[in-house]
Amino acid sequence: MSSTSKKSLLDTMTQKMVESQVWRSVMRHGYPDTPLNQSLVMMGNVFLHLHPVKVSRQAMKITYTWCMGGISFFLFLLLTLTGVFLMFFYIPETHVAYQNINQLDSAVSFGQLVRNMHRWAAHLMVVSVALHMIRVFYHGAYKPPREFNWVVGVFLFFVTLFLSFTGYLLPWDQIAIWAITVGTNLAPYTPILGDTVYKVMVGGSAVGQPTLIRFYVAHVILLPLAAALLMAVHFWRIRKDGGEAGPPPPSRREIESSAERSTVGAAR
Amino acid sequence: MSIEQEPRTQTQASATQRRYRTLAVVRQEAITRVEKPLEDSVFVWPHLLVREFFAATIVTVMVTLLALQINAPLELPANPNVTPNPAKAPWYFLGLQELLHYFPPTTGGVLVPGLVLVALAVLPYIDRNPSRAYADRKVAIITFTMFLIFWAVVTLAGSFFRGPGWLWVWPWVNMYFNL
Repeated sequence: MSSTSKKSLLDTMTQKMVESQVWRSVMRHGYPDTPLNQSLVMMGNVFLHLHPVKVSRQAMKITYTWCMGGISFFLFLLLTLTGVFLMFFYIPETHVAYQNINQLDSAVSFGQLVRNMHRWAAHLMVVSVALHMIRVFYHGAYKPPREFNWVVGVFLFFVTLFLSFTGYLLPWDQIAIWAITVGTNLAPYTPILGDTVYKVMVGGSAVGQPTLIRFYVAHVILLPLAAALLMAVHFWRIRKDGGEAGPPPPSRREIESSAERSTVGAAR
Repeated sequence: MSIEQEPRTQTQASATQRRYRTLAVVRQEAITRVEKPLEDSVFVWPHLLVREFFAATIVTVMVTLLALQINAPLELPANPNVTPNPAKAPWYFLGLQELLHYFPPTTGGVLVPGLVLVALAVLPYIDRNPSRAYADRKVAIITFTMFLIFWAVVTLAGSFFRGPGWLWVWPWVNMYFNL
């Protein structure tokens, strides 16, 4: 058989598939290689429509964004996936939690790999969120009209830290309870509300079973939900506040001095 | 701009005597400002999505390689009767733990982190300077950079230079650090 007839068979099959009712009910447009379809794919896809159809070339540059916001979001997704896997093998009970982690490392297929990935992705997410905030500060991208989105971002930073902190307790080994003991021992020093804050967090006089279940529920449900909600607002507001800010413009003095230089040059 | 025309009985001659009325003046820079970003924009599909795809792939590969190389720590089972010395918080709180060495707990452990978070949250409402140009933001940039350096120094000190009893230990002598 010649290759040309093979290719034409593939072509006709592709065409048949693309023209079928099923395909056309899923994809409301052709392949995004024309401006119309490139617009339709962004507007018609629920996941892609987080993005605008077009974006400023300057604001999109990796050297400008460091891609840190996107990487933070991606790490959150990765942590959700690996975290759900870990939940199948973990019971938040002080007598079995440590054994569960031990078994995860030794007896569960890919258990150690997924636990390691969850751990390192969590540390990386704290780093990427911090770098994202530093980047936004230096570019002055928190200035009007984006003030409120910066505030949402600060809350997301806070949620990220507490997601990592609550996860720290779950293996129930020596570093876990003593790191959390050191952390929660600060709570009573909060002015006025000190003892209440400690009771709400620890649920007793020392880190124990009530603390473990509190941290577990916060870690797997409350904080991820809070993060998802805040991220929805955060991403929505990027669009509504005019998209990415883009590189800062030169200052007025710089513009004036360059204009002066060019007029002086012209006069000569 | 709107053109107000004479009623229907328009002849060829009267058409040349149309009356014009100014409805609004649109500043020139208002028009150019709308046009400028349009010229400089690209389609998200494929330009941005390709970058995001590669960023996600690189991060996945990095995390997987890290996970294959370094195991997450698992110490001895929790024992409330045996306090490890030093008992350290997670690394991102070690700057705070270092501050606790110098200040009473209410100041170092609650007021400082609380005020830092509040200051971060209200930053856009304190920094009223409208300019985003680096040259116009010297005070803000210098203040923030000093804060970052300070925080990095206390975090590094708490992470790598503190041993039993929170005494100073050089990292090449012994390192007390957990991830």
